[in-house]
Amino acid sequence: MSAATRSLARKRPSGRKALLATAMLLVAVASAFPLAWMVLSSLKTPAETMQVPPVWIPRTPTLEAYEKVAGVINVGRSMWNSLVIASVTTAGILVTSMMAGYAFAKYSFPGRSLLFSVLIATMFLPPIVTLIPLYRMVGSIGLNASLAGIIVPNLANAFGIFLMRQFIAGVPDDLIDAARMDGAPELLILYKIVAPSVAPAIAALALFAFVYHWNSYLWPLTVLQGNADAYPIVIGLSRLLSYNRGAVNTGLVMAGATLAVLPPLVLFVFLQRFFVDSIVGSAIKG
Amino acid sequence: MAKAFRASAGIMLAPAVTLIGVFVLVPMLLTIWLCFQDWSTQTPFSEASFVGLGNFQEIFGSTSVGRDFKTALLNTTIYTALSVVLILPLSVVFGLLVYQREVAGGTALRTVLFSTYMVPMIAVALVWSKLYSPSEGPLNQMLGLVGIGPQPWLSSPRSALVSIVLLNVWQQVGYFTVLAIAGLTQIPGSLYEAATLDGANGREQFRFITLPLLRRTLLFSAVIAIINAVQVFEPVALITQGGPVGSTNVLTYHIRRVGIERAQGGLGSAMAVMLMLSLIVCVSALFALVNRRDSE
Repeated sequence: MSAATRSLARKRPSGRKALLATAMLLVAVASAFPLAWMVLSSLKTPAETMQVPPVWIPRTPTLEAYEKVAGVINVGRSMWNSLVIASVTTAGILVTSMMAGYAFAKYSFPGRSLLFSVLIATMFLPPIVTLIPLYRMVGSIGLNASLAGIIVPNLANAFGIFLMRQFIAGVPDDLIDAARMDGAPELLILYKIVAPSVAPAIAALALFAFVYHWNSYLWPLTVLQGNADAYPIVIGLSRLLSYNRGAVNTGLVMAGATLAVLPPLVLFVFLQRFFVDSIVGSAIKG
Repeated sequence: MAKAFRASAGIMLAPAVTLIGVFVLVPMLLTIWLCFQDWSTQTPFSEASFVGLGNFQEIFGSTSVGRDFKTALLNTTIYTALSVVLILPLSVVFGLLVYQREVAGGTALRTVLFSTYMVPMIAVALVWSKLYSPSEGPLNQMLGLVGIGPQPWLSSPRSALVSIVLLNVWQQVGYFTVLAIAGLTQIPGSLYEAATLDGANGREQFRFITLPLLRRTLLFSAVIAIINAVQVFEPVALITQGGPVGSTNVLTYHIRRVGIERAQGGLGSAMAVMLMLSLIVCVSALFALVNRRDSE
């Protein structure tokens, strides 16, 4: 904040500070409340989840609901499926985005800007627009109802290419030329010279891709066609809701939701600096 | 040397271009082709038969197919407009709260706000369906404390769509707040100093410096918010199934139901093409609006 606004602030009554602090607190509470409610409800007894008016803090916190989740869906299997889907997809996105980002940032070739524009345009295409033919295509190459069917179509995306190009463009040409003089092949230069210089951007892209594909629902639901063995945790969750519909299932649903939310949220808490920096970077430079 | 680079450019681009080509561009072109065909999603593409604009006549016609599609288009429009109208101002206000340096805790607030963006939409939908629960949910209880009667939320056709907008805003506003902060950091402090010397108060500074210089950021945010809003699926698929009485039947849900579950691939594709066209028109109009203001 500038010196002028600071000096202006000094002249203002301290009521302004109290007002600001209250506003910030309110926003934080409103933002955190649903997740706090989710965790609290997952620890309630079935009777407490049904009580009117609602109970806020469980009197005797219990893990009963978590045990019940394990009885309805195969939690271990679903979490493992989610992990495989998110990790493999992320690895693919990193490789394809770095290679293409490097080409767009450091080579000149005919049609470069046209190709880049066409790829970037796909970033703004909602997945539903391609869902119907894609479903048929993936089915006809025999990948439906499998993890491969979820993963393969997502191994490259425009956002990754865009982000990598932005950051690789900032790597000095001298560094790359020096390696070329030594006769290093291009892929080795990308791996040994370019990648380490853009490590924070790679971390950011990895986190984005992982969280996005951990959370993704529409495509896995469509392609799996009820193959429960391949369900990621987010689809497992939807089965908790239909289990015992109408009866007491609130604790069950909240426990399942807590399990599904934990991995992306933990990743975020530890690595949020990269998330925020890369959003800021892509928004300003874009 | 140049020739060698051209070859390695080919190698570097091949994986990404092939994948995006096969799994995004080809299906997009197929969608456009299929919108003029009568085709069942259960059959190979070769079974499709040309029907001209027949699918479009049907989805805009007066039969139930047409009524459902027009409802879904209208619902998506309302949902998108409401989301953008709520998210953009909130993101600026929250951005200013995080960015100001008078009271500590801005970064902590940013963390809390942004963390909701990490939560899978499916979990958001489940948790909010319980928050909205008319009797044992905490929202009506809290409203009761400030003297507002219980709301039907997701169970009434009048409030269900708005209820889904609210949970969407809750989840996404942190992301847009970070975008707004990025925009705020780009505004030179010297502008505020000059304005203060000229005697401009805080409100005037916001109106004549902050808002105009955030215009590019807000345009970017609006485009992303629109693209995100038309993708709403989980809360509808899981909680409302498009109801009550079609009030939350939105396009992504409807297109999937028609094109995949009912296997009416041609009809679904025609709807998808309409969605794509609406987006292009809407985003171009936004850009035109901002550019016209710029040249003034």
